[in-house]
Amino acid sequence: MSGWRVGVDSGGTFTDICLVAEDGSAIAVWKVPSTPDDPSTAIAGGVVEGLASAAGATPGDVVSFGHGTTVATNALIQGRGVATGLITTDGYRDLLEIGRQRRPHLYDLQCDKPAVLVTRDLRKEVGERVRHDGRIETPLDEAAVREAARQLKAAGVEAVAVMFLYAYLDPRHELRVREILAEEFPEAFVTCSHEVAPEFREFERLSTAVVNSYLGPVMARYIDRLGPRLDAAGLKGPRRITQSNGGVMSFEMARNQAVRTVLSGPATGVVGAMNVAGLAGHDNIITFDMGGTSTDVALIADGEPRLAAEMEVHGYPLKTPMLDIQTVGAGGGSIAHIDAGGHLKVGPRSAGSVPGPACYGLGNTEATVTDANVVLGTLNGAHLLGGRMAIDAGKAMAAIQALAARLGLSVMDTAQGIVSVVTANMARAIRLISVQRGHDPRDYVLVAFGGAGPLHAARLARELDIPRVLVPRNPGILCALGLLMTDLKTNYAQTQQVRLDSDSLGIISDVFAGLSTRAEAWFAEEGIAPGDRALRRTIDMRYIGQNYELPIALPDGLAGTALLEELTRRFEAAHRQMYGYVAAEEPIQAVTFRIEAVGAVRQAEMRPAPAATSGLDAARMATREVWLAEACARVSCPVYDRDRLGPGHRIEGPAIVEQMDATTVVLPGQVATVDPYLNIVIEG
Amino acid sequence: MQDTPSTPPAVDPATLDPITVEVIGNALASIVEEMGETLVRASYSTNIKERRDSSTCLFDAKGRTLCQASHIPIHLGSLIGVVDEIARRCDMADIREGDIFIGNDAHTGGGTHLPDIVLAEPIFYRGELVAWATNTAHHADFVDRAHAHIFQEGLRIPPVRLYREGKLVQDVLDLILLNLQVPRERLNDLRAQVAANRQGVERFKGLCDRYGKDKLLAAGDALLDYAERLTRAGIRTIPSGVYTFEDSYESNELDGTLTFKVQVEVKDDEIFLAFDAPAQVRAGINLVETGLLATVYYAVKALIGPEIPPNAGLFRPIHVKAPKGSILNAAPPAAVNSRLHTGQRVVDLIFGALAPAMPDRIIAACNGACVNSTFSGVDPRTGQFYVYLETIGGGFGARASKDGLDGVHVHLTNTSNLPVESLEAEYPLVLERYELVNGSGGAGQFRGGMGLFRQVRVEGHECRTYIHGSRFERGPWGLFGAKEGGCARFDFDEGVEFPAKARAVLQSGQRVYITTPGAGGYGDPKARDRDAVRRDLAEGRITAESAREDYGLED
Repeated sequence: MSGWRVGVDSGGTFTDICLVAEDGSAIAVWKVPSTPDDPSTAIAGGVVEGLASAAGATPGDVVSFGHGTTVATNALIQGRGVATGLITTDGYRDLLEIGRQRRPHLYDLQCDKPAVLVTRDLRKEVGERVRHDGRIETPLDEAAVREAARQLKAAGVEAVAVMFLYAYLDPRHELRVREILAEEFPEAFVTCSHEVAPEFREFERLSTAVVNSYLGPVMARYIDRLGPRLDAAGLKGPRRITQSNGGVMSFEMARNQAVRTVLSGPATGVVGAMNVAGLAGHDNIITFDMGGTSTDVALIADGEPRLAAEMEVHGYPLKTPMLDIQTVGAGGGSIAHIDAGGHLKVGPRSAGSVPGPACYGLGNTEATVTDANVVLGTLNGAHLLGGRMAIDAGKAMAAIQALAARLGLSVMDTAQGIVSVVTANMARAIRLISVQRGHDPRDYVLVAFGGAGPLHAARLARELDIPRVLVPRNPGILCALGLLMTDLKTNYAQTQQVRLDSDSLGIISDVFAGLSTRAEAWFAEEGIAPGDRALRRTIDMRYIGQNYELPIALPDGLAGTALLEELTRRFEAAHRQMYGYVAAEEPIQAVTFRIEAVGAVRQAEMRPAPAATSGLDAARMATREVWLAEACARVSCPVYDRDRLGPGHRIEGPAIVEQMDATTVVLPGQVATVDPYLNIVIEG
Repeated sequence: MQDTPSTPPAVDPATLDPITVEVIGNALASIVEEMGETLVRASYSTNIKERRDSSTCLFDAKGRTLCQASHIPIHLGSLIGVVDEIARRCDMADIREGDIFIGNDAHTGGGTHLPDIVLAEPIFYRGELVAWATNTAHHADFVDRAHAHIFQEGLRIPPVRLYREGKLVQDVLDLILLNLQVPRERLNDLRAQVAANRQGVERFKGLCDRYGKDKLLAAGDALLDYAERLTRAGIRTIPSGVYTFEDSYESNELDGTLTFKVQVEVKDDEIFLAFDAPAQVRAGINLVETGLLATVYYAVKALIGPEIPPNAGLFRPIHVKAPKGSILNAAPPAAVNSRLHTGQRVVDLIFGALAPAMPDRIIAACNGACVNSTFSGVDPRTGQFYVYLETIGGGFGARASKDGLDGVHVHLTNTSNLPVESLEAEYPLVLERYELVNGSGGAGQFRGGMGLFRQVRVEGHECRTYIHGSRFERGPWGLFGAKEGGCARFDFDEGVEFPAKARAVLQSGQRVYITTPGAGGYGDPKARDRDAVRRDLAEGRITAESAREDYGLED
């Protein structure tokens, strides 16, 4: 028997465990209730249980363990990080509060900024000044650093962030502070800004360093509990945690770089979707992950997810590599209401899973997106989750009726209206990551997952003129599955502004040589075999005078003038795609050099399934009346059992496909086929 | 003025269901957002690309605001007049697809001060003019000027064609660029502005394809009606009555103190604002009518419905009057460069009047200025003339249940600061300190926001500055027993020369010290939570004396 690869996605309610046999011969899924007080209990227990019950294996058979956790994200949202101090350049202690001096909302007089993570008395200024050209104007006042370290220690902080101006050009002052802290305050968790975000723009770098210090000890404590528990359970093999860039890192690295995990949850789903779609031959996709309260969307071009140029998480700007994921407050539990002007609005308020939609019968009487689907008949009116959860269609109807009466519309028009409005909200998020970044959504495949994604994908695709939708075989566990398909990945960056001309060639090769050295050291540290190593080099470029850069891939195997010409060509093409024009006479500047180091991890293998032997009728389980906007009437629709669909089956819309954790809608005029990997592909 | 009666649309807006209108409204909002993003990202000058001092807007064929992106409220004043003015100047039948108009003049439409340059492009669908894509960007130019009247402030551009049927009118561009002091930046910023409108035009046409032109235009009308309903519902939540307020105004561009007054009458679902102000002055603080309107629309929306779509429907129940030829409704040839301080004070004036009517929603006076610091000279590192503009935030007024925000832009503006790591690389200046001003938040049960302090050193050249603001003598007022916030002050090293009001010439190594005003508090400081007073004291936000005297802290 071959070894097992284990992916564990630990959420607030459930811990999902995905088990894949190394040779691709079997996949098993296990679900246990989470243990929020100490998530490691459910994780270790669930893995052992899942291995025994679902795979007939033991912890000794495990060859690798991948883990997605929201520990850092939740600590940031709930303000449960540690007491943190800051040491910074004289004159700049308030920068953390001032930020970019913008208020968060233009018109809302009651708006607030996110809580400042270091109180003002714990922000210590010390004499030092590096200039914009790297020159040291004022040497570091080491006595002041020592004094600050003692004060912070006496004040009881657990972590310290260090941020000096221009530290990305010359990190010596920050490094010296780290040494002094090691002498004066060795137990402190320390983050230097150049280590987490070696790029210009001081506030964003500062914010990243502070968030990392604020979360670092929380992550370290978590790992210190989980590691021994996995040991005790007898789990073998390397252990990794997902990061926001869509890759995984070792437990050891996560301990120092907690900030890299804050968007890891949605990123793992994107990677799962990318791999499932890639296997089926689709490299250009838009991922559509719709859950109970929110929807995450991301765009992948040519099999490569985009990294965001800048990202705010819960109001805190973070300059760590993160996938460009947009989140919108639209999910199955989003509540519909009528505003003072008579318009129907949906979300961002959500009924969540408790009390949940009105049809759950747990006390909520306000109409949600799920209730609208129950009334329309797109969702099963008797039960959800494959019969495990009974629902009350009458309560859904009553909730929609109440809205309909106030709108002066029919019940069905109101229910359809809720779906249309929530679809428009989601379409806006997709336009942001596609049209606004110079991509035409019509060139992409929409990959729908999450509990509510497959239900709304067909309409969303029509709204955006996307010609094709892919619904993976297991849309509810794509995150856990994604964990088994993720490579080890880390990013290194160096800001060095240089005009792109023949004089810059030496600098370009020197900077990349320096970054490569760091990447090679990381490969060695992580024990990645030479054959599994890959480096991707990009340069952030702009016209001199612009301030936003475009990432341009460094072409392989070119040097000298040929290299310059190819970089220029690629930059101009990207600029034209993004902004619609090229300023040919303007000089181009290279700003930030980046390397992404990827250590290929042996991936879970997926094997194509044999063609279906039985006819489609064998998979038909019922007929349901579904109200369709296209017909303005209730139409009798066949309902198919997803578990009985096989490659080669072809379904003409309108139709419904049900499975335990999702319902897929096929609209009139659309055709759904099942591919060899059991994905449903909807076209038309 | 904005909303003239018109021929009925082909599809009656009343027959559209609210869901279709909501969905189309969403699509229009994403067009102006996209245009804004393109403008900021493709632009060159720090003021647009980093500080985001720009706005985008769609107008219908009649010149009514369809949708403004959430950028800078005062910019609406630069945009709401432009289509009307084009219609006044041109034969509409002569406007062609691909024409692009450029303008900046405050008195003949298309501007509230000369550095805000507007580009407007008509959107044609199957040969018919259906809407306008417009944007404005603040070009950091026209520096080292006098401000007695508008002719001193820069080149006045009425809306004229920069492109004719898609082809650049080189003569016009050459004339404009010759009159600008940093032409290379201007040219590239203008390119970004053209690109932003192009995107708006294409996307709007795409919506026509999707929904049908008639339905789309009807939805545009319905969206105005929708905003009007929301606005009327919001005004109804203010108790009907007549409310008045007055406040003093001083500026370092002006001798003496002025008095501004307002009478606000709330009558069911309509609101009437009558302002009184001294005759316009020979200084840049005059506000033109479109600027006053944009200011009032901002204030009403902020008070009654932050989520109301900012379109021409919002304007309908709001009626504004100010004496023509006064500072608040200036006539040619009034200078207007620093009109933003005046606008900020108009918002405070309205809030002051309505404080007794809606005490739980009103806020105390904000910093009451938009302190502007402009530096120019020849960069010794490059030999090139540079202009560096930074507007500096300050205190945000205390609220009925919480403190004001510290160190932010307020009301009519919300530009970012320029990162110091960008500032020092681009200009021969050093930002030595950048911090909150201790003691500047007005004492109250809820404390007013703190002002900002910036200390700038000049390096290796002679630098001319133009730094202006307001609230030098009387700090921003507090409400219901609270104290006022800290005042503005500008200090210079010894030996700095002052050729005119608000102007200075600094030599290498000399510094300027800029302090912006804080904001007023809310409620009796003695009623402030004791832990909050102690925390402010421990953090150095208030002095020990203030803790004792203002807040009555005993231990």
